[in-house]
Amino acid sequence: MDSSLKIYLPILLQLLLVLGFVAVNMLVTHIIGPKRNSIAKDSSFECGIEVEGNARIPFSVKYFLIAILFVLFDVELIFLYPWVVNYLELGFKGFFEMFLFIAILLVGFIYIFKKGALKWEE
Amino acid sequence: MYTLITLSTLGFLTLMVGVFKRNSILLPLTLLGLTLAFVLNCLDIKVDQLYYVSMMGDDMFAVSFTQVMIATTALIALLAHYQFKGDMSNAGEFYTILIFTLIGAQVMVSFNHMVMFFIGIEILSISLYILAGLNKKDKASNEAALKYFLIGSFASGFLLMGIALVYAATHSLYIGDIAEKVRAGSEMSSPILIVGLLLILVGMAFKISAAPFHFWAPDVYEGSPTLVTSFMATVVKTAAIASFLRLFFICFGSIGNEWTNVLTVLAILTMSIGNITALYQKNFKRLLAYSGISHAGFLLIGVIVYANSAGAVLYYSIAYSLASLTAFTILIFLSSKNGDTAITSFNGLGKRNPWLAVAMTIAMLSLAGIPPTAGFFGKYYLFNLAIRDGQWWLVGFGLLNSLISVYYYFWIIICMFVKEPADETKLQSEWSSLLVVTVTAIGILAIGFIPEQIITLIK
Repeated sequence: MDSSLKIYLPILLQLLLVLGFVAVNMLVTHIIGPKRNSIAKDSSFECGIEVEGNARIPFSVKYFLIAILFVLFDVELIFLYPWVVNYLELGFKGFFEMFLFIAILLVGFIYIFKKGALKWEE
Repeated sequence: MYTLITLSTLGFLTLMVGVFKRNSILLPLTLLGLTLAFVLNCLDIKVDQLYYVSMMGDDMFAVSFTQVMIATTALIALLAHYQFKGDMSNAGEFYTILIFTLIGAQVMVSFNHMVMFFIGIEILSISLYILAGLNKKDKASNEAALKYFLIGSFASGFLLMGIALVYAATHSLYIGDIAEKVRAGSEMSSPILIVGLLLILVGMAFKISAAPFHFWAPDVYEGSPTLVTSFMATVVKTAAIASFLRLFFICFGSIGNEWTNVLTVLAILTMSIGNITALYQKNFKRLLAYSGISHAGFLLIGVIVYANSAGAVLYYSIAYSLASLTAFTILIFLSSKNGDTAITSFNGLGKRNPWLAVAMTIAMLSLAGIPPTAGFFGKYYLFNLAIRDGQWWLVGFGLLNSLISVYYYFWIIICMFVKEPADETKLQSEWSSLLVVTVTAIGILAIGFIPEQIITLIK
């Protein structure tokens, strides 16, 4: 084997280990586990409540919009945590940068607000 | 550095102006901001410093390509004024996304770090996916946006994988460090590095629509609004080829023999397929799309002879941008009444609007590479470099393709001056698009007189 490729051997080993772990576990549970089948147990969502209707029905696109906007502003909060933890260390520069970050998000917020993306009725 | 800040601020300002429905100041504001960015960028000439934790650089290469792209964007913003005459409801968003695309393009040509390179490409691409679907009610526009998005994200995947493998091989993301590592190990290039390099090459070939990765281009060009198509053909192509050259020249210049052969084949294929397919087109937008593919092939010559081709690539990009901007503007003009973009709509333009026909002739001559125009000198300098590098095959195919392309460019000229028009009425003139046509057509002739000055800009 080429010597430059040799350093990637651990990655290959780990890949084999991971795949092997999954394969062995699935195989072993399949062989030694008890098998009790029933209609309710074999249904797609086995959670105690009976399945009703089809999942592929039209739904208001507003749900999607709100969900996307929620994720956007939720992720914003995640960025605030590391800043808060290092607040003293980062000092005024960090404060200014965070202010800028929030200001940019505020522009986006004003935009979606004025565009009426948050209006639930109509 | 200040250019980037100015452009970003401008982007947010136009968004706010658009959303508060002050549409009449959109164009003045955009032009003012772009002018300011242009001037600030001029101040960066000869400064040559690194900024943002050395992740971006203000070298001559970055500054001159940014200048070209800002100027072209300003012309397209002017055109948009005409396009949005009737319906202004999306104008604010259009200007905003246009400016953010420009930011992406600027980051792409001035990156000094692989992450900035990728972020630049993504800012540019994601903005373009939205722009391609600007006509929300038009099915073709939606199709173009979706196709562009799928193919574009696929290409970004290749690119990212390539960057990851190059990082694995060289343990750095700064292009200077990568170049050093690559040079140090150039006798025995590691296979990981070569695979990464090829993946990046494939990703970039997708972005500049080089054959055999060009299939998305005609559909996307045809489906998008003509205004957006003109932006894709000019600014986006310039940014893509410039970042391609910057990356491969700086990082992988020392192992050129590993990848120039691949690119030579790609360039010959791109030129030939683009030109031969263009011969059969009935729609002018598709024709320009295939012509754009063949020009991407010519520009690839600049990447193959990377050592001192930056000036020639800059010149060729300017010449190509000006000529295709003229052609697209006139197409917007012609198709504004009924949306017809067939080549037959050029019939008899010489009688209806003589000045437009003359400008179109200048643009076609430049695209074909006929002497007094800028297109000729662009090709001349690229071929000259290729000959000095001993790439005879490349030059042979380049010349052959120039000859083929003369046929369909001249066909447009024949349509305009020889064929009878369907209706004799003169087209309604409008100041902003007339201005763009005049500036670009005169620009094509003007920079034909000063090729040396432009080519020697980048040392």
